[in-house]
Amino acid sequence: MISTRLNRKTANPRLEKKTTSGPVKELLRLSAPYAAPLTIACLCVVIVNAAYLVQPLILQRVIDHFLIGHAAPRGLDSIGGMALLYLTVSAAGGVFSYIQSLLVARAGQGLIHNLRVKVLSIIQLLPLSYLDRTLPGRLITRATNDTSEISDLYTDVVVMLIKDVLLLGGIVYVMLSLSLELTLVSFIVIPVIIFLVVYIKNRIQRNFFHMKHFIGRINGFIAESISGMRVIQIFRAEREKEAQFLELNGQYFATTLTQVRLNSILKPASDLFQNLSIAILVWYGAGKIFGGSLQIGVLYAFTTYIKQFFAPISDLADKYTSIQSALVSTERICELFREQDRLEAPEEGLPVERLDGAIEFKHVWFAYNDADWVLKDVSFVIKKGQTAAFIGETGAGKTTIISLINGFYRVQKGEILIDGINVNNIRLTDLRRNVSVVLQDVFLFSGNIRDNVTLGDDIADEAVRDALRASCAETFIQDLPAGMNEPVTERGGSLSSGQRQLISFARALAHDPAIFVLDEATANIDTHTEKLIQQAVDNLARGRTTLIIAHRLSTIAGADIIIAMKNGRIAESGDSAELLKRGGYYAKLLEESRSHAASC
Amino acid sequence: MKAFFLLRFFKSRKFSYAAGFAFMFAASFIQTLFPKVLGSSVDLMKERGFALHPVLMNVLWMVLIAFAVFVFTFLWRNMIIANGRNLECYIREELFRHLLTLSPAFYGKRKTGDLIAHAINDISAVRMTFGPATAMSFNGIVICISSIYFMFAAVDARLALLTLAPLPFIIALMLYIGRKIQSRFRIVQDQFGLVSDKVQENISGIRVIKAYAQERSEIEKFGALSSGMAQSNVNLIKVSAALPPLIEFGFAVCFVINLFYGSRMVMRGDISVGDFVAFNGYLSLIVSPIVSIGRVVTIFQRGMASLGRLYDIMSVQPDVTDSPHALRLRPEGEIELRHLTFYHDGARVPALSDVSLRLSKGRTLGIIGPTGAGKSTLAALLLRLYNTEPGQILLDGRDIGDYSLTYLRESYAFVPQDTFVFASSVKDNIVFFKDTYGDEEVEAASRLSLIADSISRFPDGYDTLLGDRGVNLSGGQKQRMAIARALIRNPAVLILDDALSAVDTVTEGRILESLRRARKGKTNIIISHRISALMEADEIIVLDKGFIRERGTHEKLLKKGGMYYDLYTAQQEDGQPQA
Repeated sequence: MISTRLNRKTANPRLEKKTTSGPVKELLRLSAPYAAPLTIACLCVVIVNAAYLVQPLILQRVIDHFLIGHAAPRGLDSIGGMALLYLTVSAAGGVFSYIQSLLVARAGQGLIHNLRVKVLSIIQLLPLSYLDRTLPGRLITRATNDTSEISDLYTDVVVMLIKDVLLLGGIVYVMLSLSLELTLVSFIVIPVIIFLVVYIKNRIQRNFFHMKHFIGRINGFIAESISGMRVIQIFRAEREKEAQFLELNGQYFATTLTQVRLNSILKPASDLFQNLSIAILVWYGAGKIFGGSLQIGVLYAFTTYIKQFFAPISDLADKYTSIQSALVSTERICELFREQDRLEAPEEGLPVERLDGAIEFKHVWFAYNDADWVLKDVSFVIKKGQTAAFIGETGAGKTTIISLINGFYRVQKGEILIDGINVNNIRLTDLRRNVSVVLQDVFLFSGNIRDNVTLGDDIADEAVRDALRASCAETFIQDLPAGMNEPVTERGGSLSSGQRQLISFARALAHDPAIFVLDEATANIDTHTEKLIQQAVDNLARGRTTLIIAHRLSTIAGADIIIAMKNGRIAESGDSAELLKRGGYYAKLLEESRSHAASC
Repeated sequence: MKAFFLLRFFKSRKFSYAAGFAFMFAASFIQTLFPKVLGSSVDLMKERGFALHPVLMNVLWMVLIAFAVFVFTFLWRNMIIANGRNLECYIREELFRHLLTLSPAFYGKRKTGDLIAHAINDISAVRMTFGPATAMSFNGIVICISSIYFMFAAVDARLALLTLAPLPFIIALMLYIGRKIQSRFRIVQDQFGLVSDKVQENISGIRVIKAYAQERSEIEKFGALSSGMAQSNVNLIKVSAALPPLIEFGFAVCFVINLFYGSRMVMRGDISVGDFVAFNGYLSLIVSPIVSIGRVVTIFQRGMASLGRLYDIMSVQPDVTDSPHALRLRPEGEIELRHLTFYHDGARVPALSDVSLRLSKGRTLGIIGPTGAGKSTLAALLLRLYNTEPGQILLDGRDIGDYSLTYLRESYAFVPQDTFVFASSVKDNIVFFKDTYGDEEVEAASRLSLIADSISRFPDGYDTLLGDRGVNLSGGQKQRMAIARALIRNPAVLILDDALSAVDTVTEGRILESLRRARKGKTNIIISHRISALMEADEIIVLDKGFIRERGTHEKLLKKGGMYYDLYTAQQEDGQPQA
């Protein structure tokens, strides 16, 4: 399946051209600042190549002139002189090849550093509406693999490509200038070599994709089995899993055997053709030498040049594939660059140091994808300092409402006002610093607990401690060996989900927001921790406008305003007493849970 | 026993290894004949009016050598290198088989990521060692020895000694720089790890970063890491780029020595021009084996380290195994715990202390208690994921350790807190890769666990792929699927370990109702935080810190006014409607 996809891609040259012209231009633009070092590197390459070409010529002169011709040495034109020349040429080649590598490395690394930072900045500033649609894994690949793929293009491919092409040209030139006839004879073998190398490399490459595919699946399978080992053992499915694994492993093994077979032809083929071409040269050259129209040294030089010919051709076939994959990476990164005009501008808009926290939704319509309305004509007012509870079934639009308040998405119709200002006009940084959102799934950065509360902002230790105390997190943190400096990992590691929630409350409190938004979690927390969380929420809500997606009756009943959502519309709103009187969704909910409790 | 798995592999392939090495020896040796033939042709041709016939004979020899080397190389590669691949797959199989036998105690101590790294990197390092690196070194040794032999014996010993004099220095330099490259390479890898961790963290945590307007400072932090990595890359290249030119120059010195002294010897008539040419040929033959010494050493070092790590894992003995006389008998569901006390590995406080209870067949037991009370440990012990002292857990009156693991576990079904969904079809996840169940059974189990409606709404029904590449189930759907997975086995004992935490109370009630019907006459154990899930059990135990604090029926425990009563009133206040 993979190979057919590749074939289709190359079978459509028009499409190919269209997609690659952009990245090439973009690459050139990115490398413009490094034009000077890269040009010097290319000049170095010329010298290195020249050194390679001259070495066989020196040997040829020694053989023909001195060893067979018995010419008298004249100054530097002697065996000693030739030896000195050989040494000098080799040394110069080495020095310039080192210089070239360093120049390319500096340029390549500089370029890649800029690229990496640029890619990450773009990702950071993309609106969530874009990020929601993109798999996180894909974004991670952009910033790591794709950038280093392009880096390889610079460090390895481009300069080596120039080097190889120049070397090939140089060899042909020197060969022609030595003997036209012998050059033609040598070229009997070269087309065969080129064909063989390109053909087999191509097949190896295709097979390599299969290998990668299978090894990817195998590794995924092992990872899954290790994570799910408990269930596998409890359900006694070891034999079934083993059979699945053996099948995958067997398929992979078959592809590796193909790889071994192909490589077993390609690797010794280089020696085969070198040896064969030397045999042909000697066979053809013997007659010429007999007739006196060819010198032995020239014949010998030719055998060396044919050897030198093989490596760059083999390299070129490899480079071709790396260029292709680098172009794919470039295209992907360019795609990201094209999103640049959609980026959020955190510093633009009306600066508001401190918001009061009065919220008004005015006929808000919103859809994540411009087609399916998630919020339909939603209007409500929450006064400064009030607590609002949102209730309703999953998918009713509760989470969407809280994502709109801090400007994560822009509404299509209607407007959202905070302190009477449209949220779209408030400076994003100020808006978000005034609104703290605590989601069900708490994200902790690797670092320590303090860092996770301050998030790098300048907040004094005393304030952090206060925030932790008010969030009821102080007790368990005191029990940790390093207290506030206890290291935490991304997914929390040793901390329970309730404890992570408490830390995220402290994070919100320490930033002293005007508006506090909470998605209340319920699952998998024992009654004791639940009590702590409730206490922390009460502390946080004090003196702040608070919006809660509520699950607990106690939270809902204590709210100043209850908003019941249904299918993207507000079904009913008001305080607990009003809604009970109404006898709608809220009243039913209350009754249901009471009756359930009563049946206990 | 298991640690000798490598030896077993080599023994089983001893013939293909022997043949492979024989062919390799032939290929390498024949290759070294080539310069000699070329040199002799030069000698033949240097005289005026030479006879053509012997030269053509030499040409024929060259063609023969060329093809012989090709054929023999093709053959040995297909044996030695293919064996390396075979070894790779063999080790992976052995490792996977071994992993399947290891107990939760082992997995509790190891990070999943590390184990996967073993499976990927260590196996590949071992393959490199026993495949290409072994071949390269053997091949290189044969080529070097026979080349140097011909240099000494067939050309001239003094010239050979002089010319090869720089070799030890080249090798020493190479190994020295190689070590430097290694250490700088490690720095680059560490930096790369930091950079990709940061990228990953920033992307997973993007909502928090945006919510707290941390974009700028995060980009700055990343910039510092990224430029650190760029710098260490340049540092690496500073040494690594020096190696090839230095080696080439070292060999250039060898060539120059030959050029200078060799041609003088030709002029003095000590050796012939052909010898000189052949000598040059031998010198170029040994270049590539010598150059690869550094690489081979590194591969061997890594391979041995990896092999050590693999041995360590392979020699871990599984804790829980069948006894030699294990009963091939299915327990019927009569459970008795006698003063069960259990310590987790290395723990000073027992996870369960003096727990005794009797659950006769067909009854339902409820277990409630705070986090860390030992509820899940108790379930794990009943499944014999850990070993217990003989006589502490009895099934149908016999010790749990007497039963064969297969029969024991096949008589249970267990629904854990966090359901593990395999990246496979819905059906596979329910039948759990066993092909003994028909479609009707799958559907019946799904209906009983109230997941059938959800499944029918999936794009491909029961064939819908789940996981990363397919549909993502909600927490409640996962739990209901796990219940279907358990019910289809119609087990003697069903254990629900907080298995209804993600479904709302109304659905919970309906599932419990359908369970009561389906599980009539069979033994059930329900573990939960929520009283609503277990209040209808025949007996309820309240666990706290490993002890049974209270036991009895719902009504009895409410009357008692203890821990159970407190939990009940706390949960009544909250009501917890999952709207």
